[in-house]
Amino acid sequence: MVKGNSGWSSGMSRSLLPLICGVISCAVFVGIWEVIGANPENPIAQVLPPPSKFLPVLFESDFKIGLGSQSASIHQSVIVTLIRVISGMTVAFVGSIVCGLLISLSKWSELFILPILGLIAPIAPIAWVPLALVVFGVSNLTAVFIVFMGVFFTLTIATVAEIKRIPENLLVTAENLGGGNFARWKFVIIPAVLPGVFTLLRLNFIAAWMAVLAAEMTGLRDGLGTVVMTGRNLFNSNLILLGICIIGITGFAVDRMLLVIQRKFFWWKI
Amino acid sequence: MSSHSSALYERQHPAILACQQVAKAFYAHQQSPFTALEGINLEVVRGDFVTILGRSGGGKSTLLKLLGGFIAPTSGQVLFHGVPLSGITPKIGMVFQENTLYPWLTVEQNIGFGFKVRGKQKHQYALRVQEVMEHVGLAPARHLYPHQLSGGMKQRVSIARSLAIQPDVLLLDEPFSALDIQLRRRLQKFLLNIWQETKATMVMVTHDVEEAILLGQKLIVVGGQPGQIMEVADISDPVFNDRYDRHFLDLQQHLERVVGEEPDAMENPFSLAIVKGHQTTSHS
Repeated sequence: MVKGNSGWSSGMSRSLLPLICGVISCAVFVGIWEVIGANPENPIAQVLPPPSKFLPVLFESDFKIGLGSQSASIHQSVIVTLIRVISGMTVAFVGSIVCGLLISLSKWSELFILPILGLIAPIAPIAWVPLALVVFGVSNLTAVFIVFMGVFFTLTIATVAEIKRIPENLLVTAENLGGGNFARWKFVIIPAVLPGVFTLLRLNFIAAWMAVLAAEMTGLRDGLGTVVMTGRNLFNSNLILLGICIIGITGFAVDRMLLVIQRKFFWWKI
Repeated sequence: MSSHSSALYERQHPAILACQQVAKAFYAHQQSPFTALEGINLEVVRGDFVTILGRSGGGKSTLLKLLGGFIAPTSGQVLFHGVPLSGITPKIGMVFQENTLYPWLTVEQNIGFGFKVRGKQKHQYALRVQEVMEHVGLAPARHLYPHQLSGGMKQRVSIARSLAIQPDVLLLDEPFSALDIQLRRRLQKFLLNIWQETKATMVMVTHDVEEAILLGQKLIVVGGQPGQIMEVADISDPVFNDRYDRHFLDLQQHLERVVGEEPDAMENPFSLAIVKGHQTTSHS
């Protein structure tokens, strides 16, 4: 992609400058936090202990957090949560494209099915937690289901909208070159909708992320959400903040990863 | 390629594509039908280069869509090899005015798309794609994506993509009208070279009189309300390949007048509404 270049900073501004500024601003933020939290008498330091206080918790007891047999190491918690979010989103992404294609097959299925999806889409994914616990019990399936419910309906509606947006000429040209119905689906419609739907998946990642954490805080017994709840149950603010911090960093990392995937595999615009 | 009986037919009727008393009307909501074309008779012979000239909204694009089977005539018949045309077919290629390249495919993949979409394996068509790319001078750009190409390059790829599958007729709907004048001249030459080398049959729509004379062997002026064939000119003589020749300029002047003297559709608010309705219907 070629963007407009202007001035000497053009080469820098694309890669380095935002990174440098980001690091500086984060360092200043942490620095102020440390200065305020340095005094143990300060009430703020008790609720919001600075990183120098809560980070060492990570290295205590072999990176394990929790009590007795329920304790899990931090990287296990991160992996469990990530697997839940990513598998839920993958199923929702593939499922919504398939469903969107099927719905857009006929005007009538659009007219009849879209309103139902529109009705279900605004339900906050967290609201599915109790139902999922009843149906699937305390298991990974519960978390995957919640992520799926949080993303699937919005993405299906988006797929139908994206299919409508495909320029008529791209489809007519495929037909003119000899493509049948199935070939046009496979070689034109699906590639044409992928970037738009993936962008929406990325934007909906935050919703999925919140949903799985809420499920872990309320029902499930492992994952990052559980780390925070363990801290709450032990009145350990260091643990709570450590959990929050890891949630933030992991979420940020996944968002960047999705951005990289988008730029590498779904970069085109129609 | 053609069976015995159709070969016999072709000897008797050399026209690949023909219109017989073709009319096309569009039905807009709550308005009387708008007749875009009426009483069209024409023949396109193998190896011909026909240019259809007319002002925008004058029915020339509609005529081209009829010839390609993109829309069906309201009355009359469009015959392809003597048989009524039933719809879009890869035997009649179409190059649109706006860019219709697939943005997720490279130049090479776009040119091979006509094979891929018909379920051919890559090794079956790689050679043909290579040949076409070299012929049209796109080989150095083979790995580029459409957004990395200039407007002229994009149109060259579109033309190459249509030619790759060797249609019997290639239709071109104002393929160069979005380009600036220098680029347009380069591409006109490019198209003319391709036509001369491949002896492909081409039908091109344009509103540019000079372009119509320069490229065509046969020129058809479409105009009037409803649209009819107003004039047919045989311009196969080499004098019409030189834009500074006196005959060329005389014909150009004459045609400018023919095209220009039509009542302007924009002056009449009622006809403006109809023209809009016509455009929306014709895109569906």
